[in-house]
Amino acid sequence: MAVAEPAAPAPSLRERVPIKPLALGAAIVAVWLLLDQRGFAIGAFWLIGVAFGVILQRSRLCFAGAFRDLILLGDGRLFRAILIGLAVAAVGFVLLEARLAPNPGFGIAPAGPHIQPVGIATVVGGVLFGVGMVLAGGCVSGSLWRMGEGYVASWVAMAGIVAGTIVANRQWAWWYDNDIRERTAVWLPAELGGYPAALALTLAGLAALYIAVLWWESRTPKMPEFPAPPPEPAFGWRDQLRQGWEKVWGGHGWSYATGAIALAVVSVFALGLQVPLGVTGGISLWADNVLGWFNASALPLKGSELLAGCTPGGAEKWFTVRTATMLGLVAGAFTASMLSGEFRIRRPRQWSRYVQAGAGGLLMGYASVIAIGCTIGAFFSSIPSLALAGWVYGIALFGGAWIGVALIRRLP
Amino acid sequence: MELDVRGEMCPYPAMKAREALGKLPAGECLEVLTDHAPALSTVPWEGAKLNYRSTIEPAGRGTWRIRLEPAEGKLDQKQALAEISRRAAELSKG
Repeated sequence: MAVAEPAAPAPSLRERVPIKPLALGAAIVAVWLLLDQRGFAIGAFWLIGVAFGVILQRSRLCFAGAFRDLILLGDGRLFRAILIGLAVAAVGFVLLEARLAPNPGFGIAPAGPHIQPVGIATVVGGVLFGVGMVLAGGCVSGSLWRMGEGYVASWVAMAGIVAGTIVANRQWAWWYDNDIRERTAVWLPAELGGYPAALALTLAGLAALYIAVLWWESRTPKMPEFPAPPPEPAFGWRDQLRQGWEKVWGGHGWSYATGAIALAVVSVFALGLQVPLGVTGGISLWADNVLGWFNASALPLKGSELLAGCTPGGAEKWFTVRTATMLGLVAGAFTASMLSGEFRIRRPRQWSRYVQAGAGGLLMGYASVIAIGCTIGAFFSSIPSLALAGWVYGIALFGGAWIGVALIRRLP
Repeated sequence: MELDVRGEMCPYPAMKAREALGKLPAGECLEVLTDHAPALSTVPWEGAKLNYRSTIEPAGRGTWRIRLEPAEGKLDQKQALAEISRRAAELSKG
């Protein structure tokens, strides 16, 4: 689109001083300083959440879309990017785990990584979550970043997610007594006699999946990744800086693979501090805290102190690493969409979309409690933790997404 | 014919465009109004698969009008894809 540009007027104050980025940056730092008062980790997880949100918004890394587009459109670009991210995270995680537990042969898994029990709840949770994320048009993290971008339907999905966690927290004891309690948290390094074998098997599994996705895609014409526009020549450091800024915040966004790798790096940092990325624990905790005002709290969940994964933790605490991540995610996505000029309140015109979002959210909220995590906590953080649960959950997600796609094909 | 999918996000703009193109009388054009940036590549691609050529015009802040018209002869899909990706990159830049 070669449009002749009119002669540039003298730059106004607004153009010379980047007010918007400075204000947003200052707000993020201010909240960080406040949260830091409650503990270094909580402040740090706020920043991790902000990075999480920026990455998701800039690269449009949508986990629901990864499964859905593969099934619906034969488009595996997102799914392949996530596989790359999983491989990068696995390498980082294994280094950290080897420091936390040098002798995996003893069978005692380190406490931070997401090594959940594998059972019926994992499968049921994965299927329900898969259906829900396709119906709602985004998983839990996807709904959070689109909330920050101004999608009204995502706010409705979040209301559904909150309701789903409330219901599931009340039924948790049943799931725990009948399934979760009996199950083993299978940790590959303990089963395979060491980290090298576990990492090799994980990477081989991811590579095999990558090739399978390429084969699946080859059956329909494939949409290429959009190449970034070539940079204009830069004169001097100001131009260089401006171009760098444009690369990060410009309208073209980041590639899916850039986003997935960045997310993996952030998750490795998070595990280095305490726990890998997880979203739903924070949502569940806040929902329960509000119920606590009416003496209807259901937390802490029975037996959860012994479980790994994205658990809400104890009741009556507002600021934990999980809630800080959740808040940071929305703030980061909002910041990124403001800086790239993409923030806008967007309302679907069809009422049925709100119903879909609410129902899908409800399923996701419920599923994320019984499976101890969402696409992030029980999948993107679990496979790199060298846990079998991540694989089982991922396969179940795929099955659920398949059902979800069949459903949305029949919807108006 | 006009299809207003403002407020809809993936995959609905592309799904609805495909459905509308299926019902479109031969030789007619379809105009899709969207405010979802990813639709700038997914909708033209659905069109290209059904042999429609597309042009995109901005229609207000963060809103675009995608015009799909039947191509003369058979579209080269590979070329169409290259064109779609180049244009979507240009549009989202400006």
